[in-house]
Amino acid sequence: MTRLLSPIAAVLAIAALPMFGQPPAAPEGGRGGPGGGRGGFGRGRSPALPPPGPTPRMADGKPNMTGYWNAGMNGGAVFEVQKHPRRSQSLPAGDGAIVDPPDGLIPYQPWAAEKAKDNFEHHLADEPELHCYMSGVPKQIYVQFGFQILQPPGYIVMNWEFMHSYRIIPTDSREHTLGPNVHLFEGDSVGHWEGDTLVVDTTNLNDRTWFDTAGDFHSDQLHVVERFTMVNDRTINYEATMDDSKVFTKPWKIAMPLMRNLQPNYEIMEFGCIEGNQDLHHYLQEAGGKAAEKKK
Amino acid sequence: MKRRCTVILLAAAAVWTFAPLAAGQAYTAPRTPDGQPDLQGIWEIRNSPDKDIEKAKGLIVEPKNGKIPYQPAALAQKKQNEKNSAKADPLNSCYMPGVPRINLLEYPFQIFQTPGQIAIAYEYIHNFRNIYLNRKQHMEGIDFWQGDSLGHWEGDTLVVDVGDFNDQTWFDKAGDFHSDELHVTEAYTRTGADTLKYEATIEDPKTFTMPWKISATLYRNTKPNARLLEYECHYLAEQAAAKKEGK
Repeated sequence: MTRLLSPIAAVLAIAALPMFGQPPAAPEGGRGGPGGGRGGFGRGRSPALPPPGPTPRMADGKPNMTGYWNAGMNGGAVFEVQKHPRRSQSLPAGDGAIVDPPDGLIPYQPWAAEKAKDNFEHHLADEPELHCYMSGVPKQIYVQFGFQILQPPGYIVMNWEFMHSYRIIPTDSREHTLGPNVHLFEGDSVGHWEGDTLVVDTTNLNDRTWFDTAGDFHSDQLHVVERFTMVNDRTINYEATMDDSKVFTKPWKIAMPLMRNLQPNYEIMEFGCIEGNQDLHHYLQEAGGKAAEKKK
Repeated sequence: MKRRCTVILLAAAAVWTFAPLAAGQAYTAPRTPDGQPDLQGIWEIRNSPDKDIEKAKGLIVEPKNGKIPYQPAALAQKKQNEKNSAKADPLNSCYMPGVPRINLLEYPFQIFQTPGQIAIAYEYIHNFRNIYLNRKQHMEGIDFWQGDSLGHWEGDTLVVDVGDFNDQTWFDKAGDFHSDELHVTEAYTRTGADTLKYEATIEDPKTFTMPWKISATLYRNTKPNARLLEYECHYLAEQAAAKKEGK
């Protein structure tokens, strides 16, 4: 199935939900929870659930994260990852997802703060997902529609409905092997277990993704360390620390719970971003036409 | 001298590798922890037939003449498609290639196996196929670019029943096409430590006079720490367009 939903339409539709910008929904909410409709972030009130059970385990004793997960709203992080004022009628104030530094703001270098502001004020058409690009790390974790974790031997594999993207994370403690000049949308991820926490180290990212739709950006020197800690059978505590000496004055950290989608017989569907997007045709068939007009 | 040694070594390796086959014994794949024949690894076709599957030697094994059994009106459409291929090939718009085309492109893909679900991650446009081992029926009333894949094991062969296609994909650059009645039955069989036989039977009563079948060999990437990279088609297309515009 192709979702005939352009990314911008999705952003607008979801931003228009009355609950956007409110504090994160209770972990039992979310799209997949009882009463949570497809595409909704905790829409409606969920009936009370029984208390969560113990962390399920693989044969080797590691937490078994197999299943469907959703990051929920988290202070509107997908729209603006840092603490933000009301931007418009459809983009109200929100706390974002930054837990360090304590002010909830990205510690940009002065030039980078200017650039982020300029992105927001003048370049929202450059928002990478409008162009059907992969979301990158860490944003991929908190995009819409949630994702599936598969745990085949030696790997954690994540696959998304949004942009039909995936991440492949070897968990055999291998080192990064790509050269410093290789840059990928989803980077090079290597993982290892620290107790019940999966630690994922990602390098070789490109500079073509944003942390949100509001223009918050990074360079190709971004280094992300993520920690996935499974605390019960339906909650993974997620943290990511971003380090990029070209853009930030110091590392910063986000945190949010990932909630299990409890909908029975749920499956990831097919998201045809480029297949339903007319923008590419404007670029391809009218290069020098429509695209040139925009530049004027 | 060095080359000759290599040739001899390869010949020796080939004899050793194929010895069990010659003796009439099929290769037995290792097993995953839950007992499935293990198809995991990074695989890729060599000499992609994507330019024209009818012209790729030995690819179409049924019918015996190697021709796609088009109905007359469909053959006319194929010829029209071929003429307009530069513009009309869905891959030129960076669309999802469909099945079996995505397995026949010269880009690697990685197979992962878990107890209820097999997943294939493709380097090409970062695509992903989920093959469900426990669901028995296709979805109703929806269609997919990549189809809806239901898998089961027949001995050491993974058989994947792919249905619910749309009519928007082609089989190759030569305009070979299908309707939304397309139904594909894939078979994946390990034939050696580093080879995988890939077969696909293609049925479409609106387009063909009878089912037809392809067969190809996929090769494992045996480099240590091999990983998929990214082929982001539309990103590259935008970059190319921007460059052209910049002139």
